Amino acid sequence: MKAHLLILPALLMASPAFAADTSPAELLARYSAEAGTAADPARGRELFLANHSGGKPETPSCTTCHTDDPRAAGKARTGKAIDPLAPSANPERLTDSAKVEKWLGRNCDSVLGRACTPGEKADIVAWLSSL
Amino acid sequence: MGAAMLQRNPETVMLTARVKVWDVFVRLFHWSLVAAITVAALTGFLADAAWIRWHIAAGLAAAGLVLARIVWGFGGPTYARFADFVPRPAALFEHLSEGPRHRGHNPLGGAMVLAFMAAILVLAVTGLALLGGVLKTGPLASLVSFDTGHGFGEVHELLAFALLAMVALHVAGVLLESRRSRENLAASMLTGEKEARPGDHPSRPVAANAMAAAAVMALLAAILLAANASLASRPIPRMPVATLDPVYAEECGACHMAYHPSLLPAASWQALMAGLEDHFGENASLDEETAAEIESWLLANAAGTADTKPAHVLARTAEANPFTLTETPFWKHVHGDLPEALFASKPVGSASNCAACHRDAASGLFSPFAIDVPSPTRINKETQQ
Ligand code: HEC
Ligand code: HEC
Ligand code: HEC
Repeated sequence: MKAHLLILPALLMASPAFAADTSPAELLARYSAEAGTAADPARGRELFLANHSGGKPETPSCTTCHTDDPRAAGKARTGKAIDPLAPSANPERLTDSAKVEKWLGRNCDSVLGRACTPGEKADIVAWLSSL
Repeated sequence: MGAAMLQRNPETVMLTARVKVWDVFVRLFHWSLVAAITVAALTGFLADAAWIRWHIAAGLAAAGLVLARIVWGFGGPTYARFADFVPRPAALFEHLSEGPRHRGHNPLGGAMVLAFMAAILVLAVTGLALLGGVLKTGPLASLVSFDTGHGFGEVHELLAFALLAMVALHVAGVLLESRRSRENLAASMLTGEKEARPGDHPSRPVAANAMAAAAVMALLAAILLAANASLASRPIPRMPVATLDPVYAEECGACHMAYHPSLLPAASWQALMAGLEDHFGENASLDEETAAEIESWLLANAAGTADTKPAHVLARTAEANPFTLTETPFWKHVHGDLPEALFASKPVGSASNCAACHRDAASGLFSPFAIDVPSPTRINKETQQ
């Protein structure tokens, strides 16, 4: 009951694209199942922190915008603040599968120059939710 | 000095008796007008957008002073009255060929006073038309379009130069006439007194009707304030759309502020939406349905639908960058003086972060009244953190 009272105003205030339809654990399970392998948070961390060369020159790394600490706020190239990515610091994260798909689709293309595989997505989700 | 004269020529003392020519209202009016026009000219010709409030206040003060002076021209004492100084053409020529001395305004001076009054009133009206048409504020905002306001702005500017020339002529005239009649005319505008000399052009003495004049001034002020209030409450046509579409605000506000649709013309939005996969070096792609929804909303509210200054000036985009606001010639022109370090500083981050300096950026208005550039001390403090 209490939880509902809290969630309702949050839903009303949230933008229409925000629809909490999943949880970090569910996402992790889904991506791992698609990949057919177990997720590894250490691999996710490595991918997130590394500098890549296949993507757009302006965005060599996830850290370009999210910094190397996903529990802290990041900053877009335009100067706009980005709320923390780690669910421990920002409970809205990894709870909207369409949003996660949209941003991983964009950001993997910007940084890596290609889509991330389900295994990579599982690793990233595993690392972010382990923080 | 008076005693020395008395000894040499007792007649002189009697003849140089001083008379009150400029009453206290005329003197106050004159020097307040000098102050108001000085402020209006300095802020208009030299200062940047931050000073526009002072410019408008000084211009309105000048116009108010002139209106009060016009009333005083009918209700003031002898030399304050139009009847004493509105020149007949014949008197102008007579004065030029060494006519009699005038204690009040001489015919040329009187003509200049009338020209000043007309110029200042027309400057005020064209200024309000510029303010209303271009910046969509003030009493004329509901009546004047951007293009018309812009046209009035050109008249305003020409007239401002003309006023400068008139001030120069006026000062030169005062100096020349002071020499010619061997008296300090500027000083008499301070003391109010002049010598009475034999052969002075006769003026018909009239007493001031101060109460009636004050009543008319108050009535006039009340009428103008009421007209202003009623005009200001009228709806302003073709204002930019007041609320952002929530899907647009969410999707196009994720990486930067959601730019108001009236800032770019429809063709620019179309070009931008066609290239979201490589959007300023990032992938900003959207699913087809959302993209189509956003695009149609952008087109329905693009620059062509609004009559604001940004909708006109930013719509002239750079050919090579048809949808980059910060590459438009106007943007570069008005922001050219701002240091690069300011844009890179922490509170701003990037030139595209309009809202860091423009409080009303989200509305698309970008009024010069709403500019707050983060101060250098704040910048230094925050970048050091
Ligand atoms: C160019 C800047 C940029 C880069 C580079 C970038 N991101 Fe993001 N990312 C964003 C922005 C902006 C958002 C949306 C933030 C918001 O909604 O508050 C976002 C959102 C996300 C989300 C969605 C979280 C949620 O549930 O709301 C994930 C996951 C994510 N990024 C992961 C990554 C990963 C992994 C990389 C590297 C491959 C990366 N990002 C690189 C800017 C970037
Ligand atoms: C993934 C992040 C991202 C998303 C999503 C995004 N943009 Fe951008 N946008 C950028 C970046 C980065 C720039 C370049 C800003 C700079 O140079 O500082 C930019 C610049 C712009 C500019 C030019 C601003 C300027 O500096 O003149 C416009 C206009 C614009 N975006 C419109 C949009 C619209 C409309 C959408 C939604 C369809 C959108 N953007 C979505 C990242 C994004
Ligand atoms: C670092 C602060 C800063 C940023 C960021 C900034 N501006 Fe400005 N802008 C100013 C200042 C200061 C002026 C006044 C310049 C002057 O007149 O001297 C101005 C003037 C303007 C004007 C003219 C206003 C008028 O009527 O006089 C427009 C329009 C404008 N900016 C649009 C933009 C847009 C669009 C953006 C974002 C793409 C932007 N600005 C970003 C500081 C900024």
